[in-house]
Amino acid sequence: MRRSTKKKIMKTVSYIMLIFMSVVIAFPFVWLVLTSFKTYQQIYSYPIIYLPKNWTLEHYQKVSSLDFKSYFLNSVVVGVGTMIFSLLIGIFPAYAFSRYSFRFKSELLVSVLIFQMFPMVVFLVPMFKFLDWIKLLDTHIGLILAYIPFTTPITIVFLRSFFLSVPKSLEEAALIDGCNRTKAFLRVILPVTLPGIAAVGVYAFLFAWSELLYSMSLLTSKKLQTIPTFLSVFVGQYQTRWGPLFAGSVFATLPPLVVFILLQRYFISGLVSGAVKE
Amino acid sequence: MVMPYVLIIVAFVVLLLISNIVMSFSTIDGKFTFENYKAIFTDNVFYKSVFNTCIWVFGSVAGQILLGLLIALLLTQIKRGQVFFRSVILILPWATLDIVAGVMWKWMYNDMYGVLNDILVKIGLAKDYIAWLATPKMAMLAVIIANIWKGFCLSGMFFIAGIQTIPQELYEAAEIDGANAYRRFWNVTIPQLKPVLITTLMFTIIWTINYFPLIYVMTGGGPNYGTETIVTYIYRLSLRFLEYNKAAALSNILFVIVFTIAYLFTRRMAKEVAA
Repeated sequence: MRRSTKKKIMKTVSYIMLIFMSVVIAFPFVWLVLTSFKTYQQIYSYPIIYLPKNWTLEHYQKVSSLDFKSYFLNSVVVGVGTMIFSLLIGIFPAYAFSRYSFRFKSELLVSVLIFQMFPMVVFLVPMFKFLDWIKLLDTHIGLILAYIPFTTPITIVFLRSFFLSVPKSLEEAALIDGCNRTKAFLRVILPVTLPGIAAVGVYAFLFAWSELLYSMSLLTSKKLQTIPTFLSVFVGQYQTRWGPLFAGSVFATLPPLVVFILLQRYFISGLVSGAVKE
Repeated sequence: MVMPYVLIIVAFVVLLLISNIVMSFSTIDGKFTFENYKAIFTDNVFYKSVFNTCIWVFGSVAGQILLGLLIALLLTQIKRGQVFFRSVILILPWATLDIVAGVMWKWMYNDMYGVLNDILVKIGLAKDYIAWLATPKMAMLAVIIANIWKGFCLSGMFFIAGIQTIPQELYEAAEIDGANAYRRFWNVTIPQLKPVLITTLMFTIIWTINYFPLIYVMTGGGPNYGTETIVTYIYRLSLRFLEYNKAAALSNILFVIVFTIAYLFTRRMAKEVAA
């Protein structure tokens, strides 16, 4: 009896604290959304107005008139490209790491772990020169190429753990039934791990979606630039145009937010097996 | 099967690394020199940026780990509303783009029109409006707070994952032995969570060293180099001052630092993986 009342108290306290923390943590973003609906007069009002008095869409219209669509599409192109290439390059070594033993296996596995820790800024200048040399500077494919060394290692870590979680007997059964290795992989392993693969793909996509440093340094043509660069233009040294900046920010954050919320189960289970257990 | 990875990623990274090393030992006209490293080690901003990086990493990592642990403990206590609380507390800051997080906090920190000062004064925590981003010390505190907000969700997720793997029997046994919640936390949760804690610590330390956009957007390294970290300094050297060779030298120094930290941590991990 005493134990169950204790448990109940613990639970209630947990809920109260969680509600408090939700409010604190969600507040900055809520504030961003509220500000994006205020007129400039209300944004710069003293004392501060919390709720917009008359909700305005002027900043959203302003952002749309600045060709936000084109930046959005560029971000989609770069994101999808990064996702496809990191999955294509990562899926085979991940499978090999999970099933076979071969020379330099542990060295290569360590390389995967270490590559995901490289500071992007360290490679900025050599990347710039390299892309210039192969004439891919200021192209989408060049930017995608620049992202791959940073997204593929984490793809391998996650995928390897998903493959490890599939029992070997499943494949062996398929092999006995007359499938070859490729068929067994395509027909048995792939369908089982598809949600995990999708989650990893989304991760690579969103990496590219929010990356600022490379995208603003490697893409100089306006018609090729992505959302983070678009947003950075509103941040001036002396004056920042908060209205359109926040309206654009809301547009930019909605897709990852929705996708993450829908796929959160896979991300968390991916993290469990990917980085925690090993 | 691993060949595409070896050819594309490993070769590519090695090529970039070599290019950096060559550049750091070259003068502008391509002659061999140690000058770039000498220039770094006689540069006051370099020492300042190293010091700032230490504070930035220590503050952010301590905050993120503690907050992440607290959230994970709370979230594993409850059953109903998991999805909702996870979405609001863990996913929202994670999904926010780096640059968006930067501008959002910058606006909240605004000394006149920022909502943070208004709230602090209203609830009585501050007597007067604080000029958050105007002095080096406050600016550092401000970017660290913003970074804790942006980054604690990852350690939170690691910890949730880790806590879920702790067998329930251990808690029951401890309870039968008369351990209260506090003792159960220190004697069961923490020891069981140790491997996860170490992994998380490594990732957060390295990610924080490498994390660039937040400082870039909020302060640009200022005021008076107060928030200049090694990465923002490399960025400034290469893209503002166009001193590529000096930037390459500093990049290699940073690379050695990160590599050493990663090596110390992964040596343990790799042993376990190989076993």
